[in-house]
Order: sequence, then C-alpha cells, then structure tokens
Amino acid sequence: MGRYHFVFPPWTNMVLPAALILGAIAPLYVIFIVAYGFSPITTAVGYQPTQPIPFSHDLHVGQLGMDCRYCHTTVEHSRFASIPPTETCMGCHTQIRKESPALVPLWDSYNHGTPIEWIRVHNLPDHAYFDHAAHVNRGVSCVECHGRIDRMVVVAQHAPLSMGWCLDCHRNPQPSLRDPSKVTDLAWDFDGIPDRATYQNRLHDLNRIQPPQDCSACHR
Amino acid sequence: MSSMKTRSEFGELNLEQASCGSSCGCASASTGDAAAASEDRPVGAKYWRSLEEYADTPEFREFMHREFPAGASELLDSGDRRHFLRIMGASMALAGVGLAGGCRRWPEETIVPYARRPEGRMPGVPVQYATSMELGGVAQGLLATSYDGRPIKIEGNPLHPMNRGGTDAIAQASVLDLYDPDRSRSPRHNGAAATRAEFLAWLQSRMAGVTGRGLGLSVLCEATNSPTVVRLRRELKARYPELRWHEYEPLNNDNEHNGSVLAFGAPYRTLYSFDRTAGGVIVSLDSDFLMTHPAMVQHTREFAQGRRAMDANRTMNRLYVCEGAHTVTGANADVRYAMRSADIGIVAGRILHHILGTAPFQGFYEASLPTPPGASNDWIEKIVADLQANRGRSIVIAGPRQPAEVHMLVHLINNILGNDAMDDSPIRYLPMPEQVPHVESLRGLARDIDSGQVQTLFIIGGNPAYNAPADLNFAQSLQTLRNRGGAAVHLSGYVDETSELCEWHVNRAHYLEAWGDGRAWDGTVCLAQPLIEPLFDGLSAIELLAEIAGRSATGHELVQRTFADLGGRAGEVEWRQALHDGVKEVEQPEFDRPRFRRDAIPAVALTVRERYTPAKADEMELVFIQDTAIYDGRFANNGWLQELPDVMSKVTWDNALLINPATGKRLGMKTGDMATVTAGGRSMDVPVLLLPGQHEGSASLALGYGRRVDWRIATGAGFDSYQLRTTESMGFAPARVSKSRGSYILALTQDHYAIDPGIAGVGGRGAQRRLPTLFREATREKYIADPKFAKHPEGLHVPHRLSLWEEKLPFHREGKVGAEAGNTQYAWAMSIDLTACTGCQACVVACQAENNIPVVGKDQVRRSREMHWLRVDRYFRTDDMNRPDAEARPDAVSFAPIPCMHCENAPCEQVCPVAATVHDKDGLNVMVYNRCIGTRYCSNNCPYKVRRFNYFDYFRRKPFREREWLHVDAEYYTTPQAHADPMLQMQFNPEVTIRSRGVMEKCTFCIQRITRGRIKAKNDWMKLTDEQKRTSDRVPVKDGEILPACAQACPAQAIVFGDLLDPDSRVSKMHAHERTYEMLEELNTKPRTRYMGKLRNPPSA
Repeated sequence: MGRYHFVFPPWTNMVLPAALILGAIAPLYVIFIVAYGFSPITTAVGYQPTQPIPFSHDLHVGQLGMDCRYCHTTVEHSRFASIPPTETCMGCHTQIRKESPALVPLWDSYNHGTPIEWIRVHNLPDHAYFDHAAHVNRGVSCVECHGRIDRMVVVAQHAPLSMGWCLDCHRNPQPSLRDPSKVTDLAWDFDGIPDRATYQNRLHDLNRIQPPQDCSACHR
Repeated sequence: MSSMKTRSEFGELNLEQASCGSSCGCASASTGDAAAASEDRPVGAKYWRSLEEYADTPEFREFMHREFPAGASELLDSGDRRHFLRIMGASMALAGVGLAGGCRRWPEETIVPYARRPEGRMPGVPVQYATSMELGGVAQGLLATSYDGRPIKIEGNPLHPMNRGGTDAIAQASVLDLYDPDRSRSPRHNGAAATRAEFLAWLQSRMAGVTGRGLGLSVLCEATNSPTVVRLRRELKARYPELRWHEYEPLNNDNEHNGSVLAFGAPYRTLYSFDRTAGGVIVSLDSDFLMTHPAMVQHTREFAQGRRAMDANRTMNRLYVCEGAHTVTGANADVRYAMRSADIGIVAGRILHHILGTAPFQGFYEASLPTPPGASNDWIEKIVADLQANRGRSIVIAGPRQPAEVHMLVHLINNILGNDAMDDSPIRYLPMPEQVPHVESLRGLARDIDSGQVQTLFIIGGNPAYNAPADLNFAQSLQTLRNRGGAAVHLSGYVDETSELCEWHVNRAHYLEAWGDGRAWDGTVCLAQPLIEPLFDGLSAIELLAEIAGRSATGHELVQRTFADLGGRAGEVEWRQALHDGVKEVEQPEFDRPRFRRDAIPAVALTVRERYTPAKADEMELVFIQDTAIYDGRFANNGWLQELPDVMSKVTWDNALLINPATGKRLGMKTGDMATVTAGGRSMDVPVLLLPGQHEGSASLALGYGRRVDWRIATGAGFDSYQLRTTESMGFAPARVSKSRGSYILALTQDHYAIDPGIAGVGGRGAQRRLPTLFREATREKYIADPKFAKHPEGLHVPHRLSLWEEKLPFHREGKVGAEAGNTQYAWAMSIDLTACTGCQACVVACQAENNIPVVGKDQVRRSREMHWLRVDRYFRTDDMNRPDAEARPDAVSFAPIPCMHCENAPCEQVCPVAATVHDKDGLNVMVYNRCIGTRYCSNNCPYKVRRFNYFDYFRRKPFREREWLHVDAEYYTTPQAHADPMLQMQFNPEVTIRSRGVMEKCTFCIQRITRGRIKAKNDWMKLTDEQKRTSDRVPVKDGEILPACAQACPAQAIVFGDLLDPDSRVSKMHAHERTYEMLEELNTKPRTRYMGKLRNPPSA
C-alpha cells in the first residue's frame, strides 16, 4: 500500500472567492426579493385586465350617477358584492344603444342564457374570507378598498389587498368610517362635516366598531 | 406501600388542599385515597376503553406511549429504498410543476354571473329548504342547506314534530350520497348504458302488450308510506286489477305489525312518548329504541329530557334493558340484563304472571330461564314492582327482532298497567293500513315467479337480490324470470346486485333531487322538494309509477295532486306554506284506543312457551343487528358512515361477530380471529370482535356489509350476514360458532386519541388515576345527597388550580368587555351534558359534513389517522375489580363526546414554534392553517387529544383499504391526484377551508357559523336607534342564534353553545350548574367546553 496524501484538488482554490462573491450578492438578492414581494407587481395594485365588454364605471356611476347597489345588489346582505346578471344590464340596454358593437357579448348572453365571463380584478386568497356586508353596513365605504371606481373607465385594483393593509384599518378603523347612508357616495368628501375626527369617533363609539384583529376574523 | 412515598408524591397537593377547603368542601382524606389507589389496581370503580387497556398489556403501554400506532408516523417500511426513491422522485416532479406554474401572481380567474338570476337567490348566502327523507317507510323532516344551488348540509326540521331540529347520523350523511361518484348515471339495458327515452319507449311498448286486467304484472316496492305512492298504487290497481303489489324491506316491522293484529285485531303502530314517563319506568325487551329505531330522534330527545333531573325533585326516569345484543339502548340503561334474544319471551310472560297472577302465565315459571349474569334471583319481581309503582307512566317496549307473540304480550302488559289508558298516556296507537308481512309478501312473489305467473316485474328501490332471506334465494328467482323471457325493471340509485340481474336498471333520483312525500313515524305528512335538478336525469319512484300507469307526469304535479286530495282545502297558499314548513300541518295525528283481544291471550302465551328452547351447551344464538351506521347496507358506499365507528364496538369499515370475551376465551378466539358461523345449515366466515357486556350465549352480527359490488367505498367492506338470515330467523337464529383459520384486520378506533394517560407513566395505572375524573357520574340518590358530586369525584381529589406565575385572566372573568378589555366582545363556550348524551354519533357526522372533514380509508384508520374533529369516547365501568367476570361483564357503559376544549390556558399554544395556534379575543383556540408547518408538537401536548394531523390530501384521494397490516401501497402515496373528485367537491362547504396535507386541524366551534351570527348581529345593530344602542356597550348575539353543527344535530340536545358574557345565556347557566365539571381541571387548562356529570337512576339496593 502506497503512501496516501490527501491533497486538495486545484478547484478548491476557487471556493473562497466564490463564497465572497456570493456573500456580496446575497444582500442585494434579499433586497431584491423583498422589494419585489412588496411591489405593486406582486400585490397587483393597478392590475387592469381587459374585460369581455368595455363596461365603463366612469360613464355609468360617475356621469350617469347610478348607485353601486343598482347592480351590486347583494353587497349589503352577502359576503359577495355579486356581479349583476345580464338581465340587469338589459333593463336599460334593450332600449339604449341596442346596436352598439360593444354589446354583442351582452346580447349573446341575453339571448342564449349563457353567462358573461368577467375577469376577476380583486382577488383574495382562498383562505381569506372577506365579507362585504360586514363592512358596508357599518360605514366602510366602497372607496376605501376599491378607490374611485366612479372615475375608472376600466376597473383597476386600487389597494394592495394584503393582510398588512387589511390590518392597518382594523387596528385604526376611525379614519375609514362614515355614515352608512354615504357608503356608496364615492365622491363624498365629508362635505358639511365640521370636524371629521369627532364625527368618525362618534360613529366608531356608537356603532361599537371593534374590528377583530385575530386570525379567526378572516381565516377559518 | 409507604406513607413516605405517598407524601412525597403528593406533597404539593396538601398546599392546594388548604386553598380549596371552604370552596368545595372536599374531604381531606381523599388525597390519601387517591394515592392508595394509584399504587395498585384501584379498589373503586375502574373505567376502561378496551380489553387491551383493561389487561394493561405491555403492547398497550407501548401503544399509549407512541401516541400513534407503530408505523403510523413513518411513511414507509424501513429499508424499502426503492419506494422511498419513487416517492422522492414523484414529489420532486410535483414541486417542479408547482414552480413552473407558480411564477405568476395567481392564475386569472373569471367571475361568472347568472344571465338570469333566480328570484331571491343571493350568491354567497346559504338558503335552507324544508324537505324529507324516507327510510324504511318512515319520513324524517329535514332542512337542507343549499349553497349557490348545491345542497351541502342536512339539518333536522325544527317544525317537524318528530325531529324538532335534531337528526341522526344517517340523515346527516345522506347528502354525501347525492354526490357519490359511483351513482348510476343512466338507465341500463342488459348491462349496457341506455337513455331515459329508450327506457320509456320500451316501457310503453311493454305496457301496451299487457292484456286487459294486467295479468303478469308485479311490483316489488320498498316500504313506503308516501301518500303519492299509495295513490298511484290505487290507480294502478284500478287500471290493472290483476297487478300484484309486494313490499319487502330487510329491516321491516313484520313483528310489530303482526303483534298488534294479535292484540287488537288490526294493525297499529305504537307511539312512545318517553317524556310522559317523568319519574317513571321504561323496560326495553330487546328494543334498541335509542339508536336503530325509525323514531330514534324523537325517542332520544324525550328520553334525555326525562333524565336531566333539573327540577326540584330531581325527577328521572329509569330504564331497564333486557337484550340479546349489546346495543346503545343497553349502554344507556340504568339496569341492563344480558340474555339471549330467545329468552325475552319468557321474561315478558313472567312479568305478566306477576302482574296478573292468573293461569295462562303460570307456566312461564316451568320454563328454565337462567338468571341473567349479575342479577339477583328476584330480578323480575323487582322490575314488576317498579312497573306497578308507576302505573300509567311506564313503557314496556319490545324490539323488532322479537316474534309477534312477544309483541302481543308486551301490548298486554302496557294495557294492564294503564300505560295507554289516556290521551296523554305514554303509549298511543296509530291505525295503520293492512299489509301483508314483508317476508310473506316476498315469498309470494318468489312463488309467483317460479310458477311462471310474472311476466313483468318492477322493483321500486330496495335490493332484494342482496338482502332477501337466504332461503328464498331471490337472486335465483330473478334469474328464473329472465330465463323464462320475463322482464324485470329495477329502479335504484346504484347499479347493485339486483340491477345486475334485471333486464332494465333505471337510475333513481336522490331524494334531494326529486319531489316526494312521506309520512313521519307519527303519521304527519311530510313533503320533499328537490334542491337541485337531477344530476343524471334520474327518475323518482313516483315518476316511474306514473309512467307505468301510463300517466306521465312530473314529480311536482304528482305530489301536488296528492296534496290536494289529502287536504280538501289545498289552494296555492296552503301548498306553498306546506312546502315552506316541510310538514302539512302540525296537528295531532288521529290516534285510536283499540280494544284488547283478551280471548287470544291463552293461545299466544302457550305459543311463546312452547317455542322457547333453553340454551344448549354447544349452541350459541346469532343475533342479526341493524348497523348503527349503514342501515341495511344501502349506505354501504357512504364514506362518512363507513368510517363512523360503530357506537358499541368502535369498528370502522367492517362488521364483525361480536362475542363476549369469556366466550372468546372458551372458543380460543381473540379480536381479529376468523370464526365460522353456522346457522340453519348455512355457514360463513367472519372475524370476531370481543365486546364486553355481550351475553355469553349470544353473538351479534351487523347486516349490510359484504356487498358484491365494485364501488369505491363499499367494495371489500365487511361480510355479508344476509346469507345466514332466513325467513324463520329474521331476528336471531341458533348457531354454532367455531374457530376458523386465519385472522382479519379490523380498524378499531377505541384506543385512538386516548386522553393523556396521566402523570404516573403511560397506560394502566396512570390512566386509571385519571379516568374517574374524566368521566364523572353518580346515581340519582348520590346526586341528591351530594349535588356537587361532579366537582370532586369520588376517591380522588382534584388539585385546584394554582399557577406558578401570574396568569392573564381572560377578560370576561373580570367582568370587562369591549374596548377596555382589549376588544373582547364575546366569550364562546360549550356545555355537554353527559346525562343526555346517548352516544348516537349524529354530532360526529354533522361535524364532518359541515367542516369538510375528509374520509381517510380503512388503511389510514388503522394508523390512527382518522380525521374526525369530534369523537365519542366509549368507556366501560367496572365497580369491583376483584369480581372474576369483571372484564366480561362491565357494570356500565358511558359515552363522552370530545371536541376541542378551547382551553383558556391552552397547552397546544405554548409549544407551537410558529404561533400557528393562538387565541382570539373571544376565547377561541384558533388554528391558523397557513402558519402551520406540521411539527405536531401541539397534538403531542394536547391532553384531550383532539388535534388531527392531515397526513395526506385525503380529500383528493380514494379511500384505501389495507392489503395487509402495515403494508404500504406505494401507488397510494405517489400517484399524483391533482383534483378532488368533481362530484364530491360539490359537497364541500365553501365557508370552510379545505386543509392541505402537513397541517394540523381541529374543532373550531364552527367558526364560520360564529362569524355569520356575529356579522348578522352587528348588521342588525346598525338598525337600532341611538338610544337603543346606548343600552349596551357591546353588540350582543341573541342566545341560540349561533349553533355549531354538533349542537344543531344532537337529537338529545346535550350540546349547548353560547356566550358566557351573557349571564342569561343557556351556556352560562349550564356552566354555573352544580353538575358541571372541567375535564382534566387539575392541568389548569381552563377549558371552555365543560361537561355535566352523568346521572344514572338504578333502583336502591
């Protein structure tokens, strides 16, 4: 048996410089990942898909002054602010702009009873259970989460809808409160309220607004 | 045993003793007793779950120590490297798929609104519809919850006089059958798929060929009291006078029917009102009226009501049970006498002898009735004395297994005692239509077929080829019919044993898909309305009958027409009201007080006496019992029911021959050994299960297993006991039992999730020290003497809470609420009354249905991986451990439903490294699935063993039966199963997360229901005026508004849920009740689920 020398192979010389380079890159990598994770690309703020029918909230709500609940009828009663059935649209559109090429899918749906497949903009993870009725009835306006829908020609996501963002409000609900009768008035800017903080504190105390901050509030 | 050791071991207890002194008044001697008891086998009562625990074998200790059975926590047998690599490879591949698809934010989703939304439909708001389910000719009133058009949950109808909001396990599970992937999806002609139109065309031409009076037409229908079926039957008979109508149901009421004909000359149904026996006596002669009875829900509610002892006199009824099998009713008895079913007739005769003292019953003393084990010689005299002291408020009830003559004698007993004398007596009689006994009816049909008198046979429901008495050999008759060119049509939800032998199989609509009606046990008319279009275009029984009659009509028209006929005034308003309520109108059914036919008594008495055969040394009695889960076998493909442990034996996925441990010893058999049972010249092999309390001379065997079908659940489950059941022995039969070769794996849950066995090591002694504190019970006498018995169980001192550090009390204890108490607005809590609980397990299935709990399969149950969030523990109690037959004959059986206790001081929370289980402000112990990394520390530290670990994505796997013990089928683990079955998926409750694998889960107190109730209360609050709002500093939830699934289902109403911050809530009152105790309170967990001690009411010695 010959002598046995353990000799590091030549490539091991590269280990130290490689580790140094990696070490230098690592913080940059972490910064990138964190920044990416919180950027609107990830949270999807501004997500604005093209819908099958170019329905304009700006026109219907902003200019014509329709109430949100004219179409989203279930918002006060259900977890979901349901998308209106085709029939609701046809309440007017059998009379108005019948010939518009943009309404072809609408007529298709109306005539054949097939649904229109809208693309979901505001999407919560499946394990988060948000309830529209719980918020809208207690004086949290649509605008708090959805932004000025009444000015959007194409709906885009306004808020990050992340858990931290939800909790911001649940921890400090007062600034988001208004009288429930004003909930769907997106343009309302507390006109005629002398002191906004007093007004909101009063609503908060009287209506016993104590939003839960526990996991069980949204996760089951 | 040295007193030194006692003192050192329990030194700290003395400290606490000083602190408790005045508050509970525990005798200071009790500490010493506990210590003494711990040293050896306890002298006092002993509780045990299984024979293994009783014997305290090394294997049992090992089992308890491991928490899970050997092999359960390992993925694969060690050394099987190839399997390991395959699994690794598969998971890598899956991970790759995940990565490739996972770089996007999340997949684009579409929202699909209605084109025309039905009126009143609100997406996301569940709606309940009243409906009813008919089983064995008796309808239950139900409420079916529809979520976005899919029925997902069944509840009892609160307006229904029988259900009153309660349900049983079968009704709870029936919704799963709707989505069973094995359901028949189309009609079949000679085994080949056909269409409904083809069938109807065939039917039309067939009926066109029927000559004038309908000769050669036969109908075999399952038992039904549906008014529409009755009407259509009448119409068919009018059109085809020669048509023969037969009825058969394997679990039938022939004996009750014939017994009432013997007694009164006409058929009557006996209705028992157990709430009218307040303080009285109930004697069950082989009747399992609390579990396998059509009116089980009503019985359980009223029986439990009579036992709570909440009034000033602590009134309780008393239940004597004489029975051949060990049933749930027997487990709830105050005094239970095990005997052969064949002995029951003599017992009835002797009771009559004592009451009457006259001639026909003198002879019953010549019969050599052995004294039941453990009974005194004058045991019958004692029962009779108790019955006579309670004339007019007692019930004697005979079971369906007993022959008609025994039923007649029992009617006589009740008649003499005046139990049926008044309108408000506990026993009332409901006139029933004349019927040919089912066995005779089926025999007649078989004879007709064999003599060539049947050309066309319609089998409406049922499965006679499988469950007809073996000596009729009905399958052979069907073959004969076919060979002679006759045609058989089978309407069935599944292509089953009978369908295979028929020319046509017609797929039947599930009751949630079809219009229908029925009569409840008390005769109330119940309507059934569909909640969904038939998934596979199935026909209902009434629609098929209408087609046969040549008057094609929709179920809706048929039922509405019957309704109009019934009521006289049936306008649209009444119809809609009845549909809404689910019952026609809640009114007293028309009871009758029939005259007893005294002249028949001597002959009947003689028959009973002559038919009696004393036990023979080499012979046993085989008792056919209705399974507590799958009924007569028709629910054999229902995963929830197959996995539901049998109430008494705790066996899942199989049936087994239940014999007494002493019998087992005599025959040299232990649980799992195969036995050969021979009865009436037929024999079968079946595994044995030793069940303490079973009579030594009798063996019971559940019906409905061993289906000869190829379905995902039923295949391979159990052994077909119908092959031993003959027309002569529908209830019980003399049989020989001998040891056969081989053994069989039974998946028993009895030792699974056993509560932490205690301080002094594992198994045996430690558990024994604690078990009496887990389950606290007293006799009524003792309760009167010591109303706070549950606070300090006998022989044991429960150390009072003394923490080492200052504890943060939950806010409600300081009387603070709202903002000043950190937002606490509610304090949810539960109370479970062990006195009321009969152990029926409706809660277990209700929980499974509500919370998307997966079925894991027999193989996984063997590994203690069943996922039930709520289990019902069964304990045997032995008072005197030195009695030689203590093991074979326990003194009592007790049940305790165990959900998560939601401890205020939860041990699970303290060990979770990732804070995946935390408390919320309202006192719930919350499990956060997304945080859980699956360490299972929490389960390890949970003293109540209520946490369940999701080893696999069970919801997307087919339940898997074992090949051999601990053999691992690699396919089961490696085959990617990306999606849940689309059918089963439709049952999922969208309000509850589908948990993925690797995550711990447990009872949430039905957080989704709490949230719904809370949001509703808060939204209602907004409608109040400012003045009204100032009256409370929090938003209260009305008591009873929030019901967890278990509490809602419980027929005994043993489970109460509510808010402790509301001093008037029922749960607050229950928690403050003197009988309430905390399980394992010495651990200072401060459970929010508390128990009320069990009361029994045996006669004073």
